[in-house]
Amino acid sequence: MAGFKIKAKLKNGVVSVKAMAKHEMTTYDIAEKQTGDRDNANFIFHITATVNGETVWEVSTSQFLSKNPIFKYKFQGIGAKGDKIIMIATDRKGKTIKGKGKIK
Amino acid sequence: MERRNFLSMTLGAAVLAVVPASVQAEDWRKAKPTVWTAKTVNDAIKAMYGDVKLIEEGVTVTTPDVAASGGAVPVNVKSDIKAKNVAVFQNANPESAVIVFDVNKYSIINYDMKMKLKSVGDPITITVVVEGQDGKHYVGYRTLDVALGGCEG
Repeated sequence: MAGFKIKAKLKNGVVSVKAMAKHEMTTYDIAEKQTGDRDNANFIFHITATVNGETVWEVSTSQFLSKNPIFKYKFQGIGAKGDKIIMIATDRKGKTIKGKGKIK
Repeated sequence: MERRNFLSMTLGAAVLAVVPASVQAEDWRKAKPTVWTAKTVNDAIKAMYGDVKLIEEGVTVTTPDVAASGGAVPVNVKSDIKAKNVAVFQNANPESAVIVFDVNKYSIINYDMKMKLKSVGDPITITVVVEGQDGKHYVGYRTLDVALGGCEG
């Protein structure tokens, strides 16, 4: 099942992307409040977006992004209509969240 | 004469091509773990970049004046600076670093994200540092109010 919903549009040489990751993004405080154990915190650490094997967006992230975080970003110089953007995220527990979207 | 200049320019370009910006892309959580545990903005900036001078120009941070919910505050960062990375900090949450973007030759610095901001009663300032390819550090700020507690929401 796709962990990322990705929408991408190419216009005037620029690809604009809107991506949403499906993730609880529980902070240490929330984990402590809900379960009594801070170690139950789980949030995304790192995300890459690639097109044709090249990285077009890359972030290292904290516990402070929203639940099911939404990102928007743009890139240029790569990617044609029909190309796929692949996004891969790794979370604190080591799980991988993946998704792909087509550039329209 | 012209030919010699042309050859030296080509060599220079070839040297640059060997070290593309994307090679510098890093997982900052692994590379600089203390950035993510620093409690204050200044400590986090120091952990990330060292004791650097921040030049207040070229970085635009946009948020609503008042965020309706602290659980999902929309933040936009724009810059035309030729950058290596962009780091976002805030002074509301238990730790200060929110996200670090790696910038490469394809990147356009116009990033939208949604973050949690713990309402502390006082206005919250988001600080964004852009590390330029020129080795300098540029900063932009944005102060806003948050209606409800974010991390608890």
